[in-house]
Amino acid sequence: MPEEMSISVNGQSRVPPGFRFHPTEEELLHYYLMKKVSDEKIDLDVIRDIDLNKFEPWDIQEKCKLGSTPQNEWYFFSHKDKKYPTGRRTNRATAAGFWKATGRDKVIYSSFRQIGMRKTLVFYTGRAPHGQKSVWIMYEYRLDDKTSNTNTFNSMEEMTTYEDGWVVCRIFKKKNQQKTVDGANSSSITADSKTQMLHSGKNGGLEEILQHMGWTCKQENSRRNSINITTTNNSTNYMKFHPIGTAMGNGLHVRLMQPTNQDSKTPQSLTNNGSLFDQACEVQSCYGAIDEASVTNQGSGNTNSVYDTEPNHINWTALDRLVASHLNGQAESSKQLACFNNLNMGSCSLPDHVLQLSRLLSNESYHTSQDYTREMDLWSFTHSSSSSPEPSGHI
Amino acid sequence: MGDDHNINLPPGFQFHPTDEELIVHFLYRKAKLLPCHPDVIPDLDCYPLDPWELNGKALAGGNQWYYFSRSTLNRVSANGYWKPVGADEPIVTSTCKKVGMKNYLVFYIGEAPTGIKSNWIMQEYRLPDSGSSSRSSKKRGQSKIDSSTWVLCRVYEMNGGSQGSFCDEDDNGPELSSLDEVFLSLDDLDEISYLPN
Repeated sequence: MPEEMSISVNGQSRVPPGFRFHPTEEELLHYYLMKKVSDEKIDLDVIRDIDLNKFEPWDIQEKCKLGSTPQNEWYFFSHKDKKYPTGRRTNRATAAGFWKATGRDKVIYSSFRQIGMRKTLVFYTGRAPHGQKSVWIMYEYRLDDKTSNTNTFNSMEEMTTYEDGWVVCRIFKKKNQQKTVDGANSSSITADSKTQMLHSGKNGGLEEILQHMGWTCKQENSRRNSINITTTNNSTNYMKFHPIGTAMGNGLHVRLMQPTNQDSKTPQSLTNNGSLFDQACEVQSCYGAIDEASVTNQGSGNTNSVYDTEPNHINWTALDRLVASHLNGQAESSKQLACFNNLNMGSCSLPDHVLQLSRLLSNESYHTSQDYTREMDLWSFTHSSSSSPEPSGHI
Repeated sequence: MGDDHNINLPPGFQFHPTDEELIVHFLYRKAKLLPCHPDVIPDLDCYPLDPWELNGKALAGGNQWYYFSRSTLNRVSANGYWKPVGADEPIVTSTCKKVGMKNYLVFYIGEAPTGIKSNWIMQEYRLPDSGSSSRSSKKRGQSKIDSSTWVLCRVYEMNGGSQGSFCDEDDNGPELSSLDEVFLSLDDLDEISYLPN
């Protein structure tokens, strides 16, 4: 005789002992969220509504407890509608902190059909930009635009609120602090560059990008160790350099740069972050190599170009902007990065690590702009380069 | 996913009990001849089954199978036998109360004592003192167990990284890739300027 086990008894949620709630992403989207947006009657006690602005993650943990089996993840519905006055960004701030989204939404499939998206967020305590990263992570699932219920909005609002509406969320604590190289993006790198660059620290993300350069630069390292270096607090990818000298390394005429203070923040000594600077210098030395080769072919006055009008100077501001805007997924930057991607098609007289970076960044781009033509001229130096970089740059 | 057909639960629920829950909510009641709530774990006492035959007969939960059995000296099935390994482990609650014992068995394919070790593992749960004087005996294969004593068996196959434990179907890790970390390190101007307070 089938035994009825109700989830709700006297208004209180009751899960039978031994059972725990661990739905698949498909179940979350297709069953629970779908019913929620259609306002269908289901036993919604399993997943409760939570106002994200009112509760801290540890509060949610308490509120969304299910049954007696120990949990390490908690589920709830949330309605996204609060925005910052500036525009499209959803306000996910709480009393103690805020949820910050990573830039990459993952597509969720069911039987090879896209049914929704998943956004990853991390909880920071305090207030930006001084927030302290916590171990709390949230996966926010939303239905695919076509299937989500937006018929309450008129067509104009639909455009601006395509991410609005009900979402179903799962929060959990990060399992380990170990940094791993993202398998999809990693390319083969030399052993010593790997050990040199792979540190578990605050700058893991930038390290990953830079380590694809695979530039060992042993000669530069020994020089850099004796250089007093400062960097700005907290913004690890905004290092600006001014030349302090040049060095010969690996057959390339390399311009050695020292970072300058970007803004009024008190600079910190980089003694802890020596590795980051090493890698940043490696980036610089790579571009330094390109510098030399492109001296006369650069005629464009494009202010967004990585090269400004002065031939022997990298416009780091532009490069930073480029990387940041690309990571934020803007279309325009992807066009510019397409020029990096174009390197793959040209001859390999460029250092391989530059190609790797371009490949990495291009692969991450969500826009498929193929407008190379304007930027192609920038890189035509590949054929006119006189100093061919050492093929040991191979990775 | 593995829900017993007796249960009426919405999707997403899985049977994944702790050791303590197995003892307290299921084995204890079974031994006392009380009905279990939920009554989902079957008796498979009469069927000496090979572990791979359990699917469909025992209660499944996350690549593990659960059933009651009366402990027998020789657990022999059609194609092999279960052999105890290791020492018994006590099961204690969060209040440091001992509620049961657990021991491990490995399934060997073939005939004893020349069987081939397989990847199938059984965790056998029993109550601390069921009236047998030799309950505390740790000798393998020689426990003089009362044949009317119920034990609860949890069977799973060790393979890959999954020790029969509950695996996440969706890819949770690395939860934050390095590129995610880069995104997070970018300043968020919205939150600087606009605060709820």
